[in-house]
Amino acid sequence: MSIFSQLTVNGLIAGSIYALVASGFSLIYGTNKFMHFAHGVSVAVAAYLLYSFFSLAGINFYFSVLLTLIFSGVFGLLMYRGIYLPLQNKKASNVILLIASIGILILVENLIQIIYGADVKVINFIEVAQGLNFFGAIITPLQIVIILSSVILFVSLYFFMKKTRLGRDMRAVADNKELASIVGINYKRVASYSFIIGSVLAGIAGILIGLEQNLRPLMGTDLIIRGFTGAVIGGITSVPASILGSYILGFAENYGIWFLPSGYKDAIAFALLLIFLLFRPRGLFGLKREVEK
Amino acid sequence: MPVEFISPYITNLLIFIGIYIILVVSLNLTLGYTGMLNLGHVALFAIGAYTSALLMTRLDFPFVIAFLAAGIFAGFFGYVLVLATKKLKGDYFALATLGFAFIVVNLLLNLQGLTHGPLGIPGIPKPSLFGLTIQSNFSYLIFVAIVAFVSVFIIYKIVKSPFGRILEATRDDEIGLRVLGKNTVKLKYKAMIISGFFAGIAGSLFAHYLSFIDPSSFHLSEIILVLTIVIVGGLASIKGSILASFVILLIPEVLRFLALPSSIIGPGRQIIYALILITILMYKPRGLFGRVDLE
Amino acid sequence: MMLKIKQVTKNFGGVRALDKCSLEIEKEKIIAIIGPNGSGKSTLFNVISNLIKKDSGRIYLDKEDITEKEDFNIAKLGISRTFQEVRLFRNLTIKDHLEIALLESDEKLIRSLFGKREDNEKRIKDILNLVGFDKPLDTHATELSYGQRKLLDLAIAIAKPHKILMLDEPVAGVNPKLRKGIKEILRKLRKKGDTILIIEHDMNFVMDLADYVFVLDYGKVIAHGTPRKIQNNKKVLEAYLGE
Repeated sequence: MSIFSQLTVNGLIAGSIYALVASGFSLIYGTNKFMHFAHGVSVAVAAYLLYSFFSLAGINFYFSVLLTLIFSGVFGLLMYRGIYLPLQNKKASNVILLIASIGILILVENLIQIIYGADVKVINFIEVAQGLNFFGAIITPLQIVIILSSVILFVSLYFFMKKTRLGRDMRAVADNKELASIVGINYKRVASYSFIIGSVLAGIAGILIGLEQNLRPLMGTDLIIRGFTGAVIGGITSVPASILGSYILGFAENYGIWFLPSGYKDAIAFALLLIFLLFRPRGLFGLKREVEK
Repeated sequence: MPVEFISPYITNLLIFIGIYIILVVSLNLTLGYTGMLNLGHVALFAIGAYTSALLMTRLDFPFVIAFLAAGIFAGFFGYVLVLATKKLKGDYFALATLGFAFIVVNLLLNLQGLTHGPLGIPGIPKPSLFGLTIQSNFSYLIFVAIVAFVSVFIIYKIVKSPFGRILEATRDDEIGLRVLGKNTVKLKYKAMIISGFFAGIAGSLFAHYLSFIDPSSFHLSEIILVLTIVIVGGLASIKGSILASFVILLIPEVLRFLALPSSIIGPGRQIIYALILITILMYKPRGLFGRVDLE
Repeated sequence: MMLKIKQVTKNFGGVRALDKCSLEIEKEKIIAIIGPNGSGKSTLFNVISNLIKKDSGRIYLDKEDITEKEDFNIAKLGISRTFQEVRLFRNLTIKDHLEIALLESDEKLIRSLFGKREDNEKRIKDILNLVGFDKPLDTHATELSYGQRKLLDLAIAIAKPHKILMLDEPVAGVNPKLRKGIKEILRKLRKKGDTILIIEHDMNFVMDLADYVFVLDYGKVIAHGTPRKIQNNKKVLEAYLGE
């Protein structure tokens, strides 16, 4: 029983982390309709920023978090305004934007490696606390914070999308860009905001992941593959679907190692990614149009 | 032992350029000529490298067989890739092929009984042809040059033939070509098999030159490198791909002459490639000799 | 009968584009399909070439059942067609276009590489002469004007080996002089034994050209007969005036 509980808890933690990445990725995909792979490096940048502000510069932790989130939003906006928007203005196709985003990912990852070095970094904010026993599973207070804050975040994101004017505009653009611009929605403004909000979500993900795990220059690639896989499983066009898909991925990986050696954790994610891309590219909860010919 | 006319440093660079020319020109066949947004080409390269290395180290196959098997096996995987993805459009096709590349690297890491996982395969023998072993780097360069020349010549003949013309028509308007009675799906299979074959033999050349391979040679950054070369040279331009292979692979060599530490040279090289890629996409998306747009 | 369409139905969501539509196309005739916008004419063409899957019904080409065949096989079996929007290969030349249409062996890689190159120069010249197209053969498709593109599109359809020629609005957006020219081309083709099915929005254009006319409205054949009979048909006038 305790193995099952432990795997459930681990799946929940992994799922929360993946969902934090996938939610921003999917939000940006919704309004822009291209795969912003560099979203993974936004997470890594946030983690390293927090490390710089808090661990290197010694700034107060909560103020460091605030600074990190502001910089994350700015970073997202810069990518959009500096690279994606000029490409879109030149009528670049989605695949060009995808390739450009992989270029940004590689570029920034290697910049991180030059600036901070290839060795792992640790943010020592919370002393490694005694794990709590939870139905036979061990869980640390930080992990509880991760799970709770992601749930709170997703609920508030849901209400933001449903209740605010900007959220409504984003959904309108995601649903039908032409129609949205006919009814007077400024597309560029909405796209800019979705990059800012999506990247702040990446910032929050980076902070929580940075507190839980070691920082590695290449962490962004691993995270975006997971977040992307989660989004594909759920349905990339919908933020709630992507979040659900990410939890499914987290559980699948962890329950999977009940049967398989733990080295196959990655393989489970990739197998799911491939199966969904090939047999159900719109995901479990996504809509059919726009994916298949 | 032939006389070494050129310095070992230049020889080494030229060998890599030769291998990349095969890899990039074969990618241009699918990406540029046929319009298939194939981001999984490096995986076929990896499959060729591992096939050839394993056949020689594990099963003592003669080089010629291992070399051809590398091409055939990679071509077969090209076929499987099209079979699996033929229903997908645009960026989903691109992503599925990218996903395929991730999966191949992951399998190379995890099928430890076969591939030694992250430890890689050491002791890959130098090729021997007709009883002669290609020992020195200089003779390896000659060998690579011959293979590259023949490969490029064949691909050139293909793209200039009536078959090549309907590959280009597939790229320009698939429906328009189907109503003229051409089976475009079959054409894509053929293009991918040929492209995979040459990626596979490039992989074989790569493995036997380095005599050691591990999964890290086939990561995302490698995909960016081959894409950068194809795009800089120009889609549907063989001349462009060849020229760009020289230019792009030589540019980061500047870092060596700046006497930078090796911990900076590695990432520095990636940064240069990524910057070139982003810049060319933004300011000259057709590259040096491109005739068509990437869509 | 060259082409037989039996009880074809196609729904798009809730909209019925074709409603138990039946037509029979006689050999060596020019048959016109007319009807108001959205009456299902182009959908019918796309269903015949199986670019759009129909819900029910059967289609026979020269007595052969082509209902379940794939789009490119239907083309191989002898349907040559154009689209309302001209479809050309952006990066290819005029000669490339016509050779692709003429050649049936270019899908074979080995033959394409080692086989003897067929000399199509004369056939290409003949076809271009027939349609009155005089641009150099190495001109790229993108360098042509609208009217020239329309003519090249027609030339390609003629060049492709076929039993029936299906033209979707061959004179849409074309100046009056060229309209007349295209009319003459179609007459010449009929004389040579071609079977031609054309979609036309404009009733006047087909009246002195077509041998037989089908009128479509809301996906149904509401009338058919010789142009003279159709001209005075009450239902047809209603369909057009009620547009």
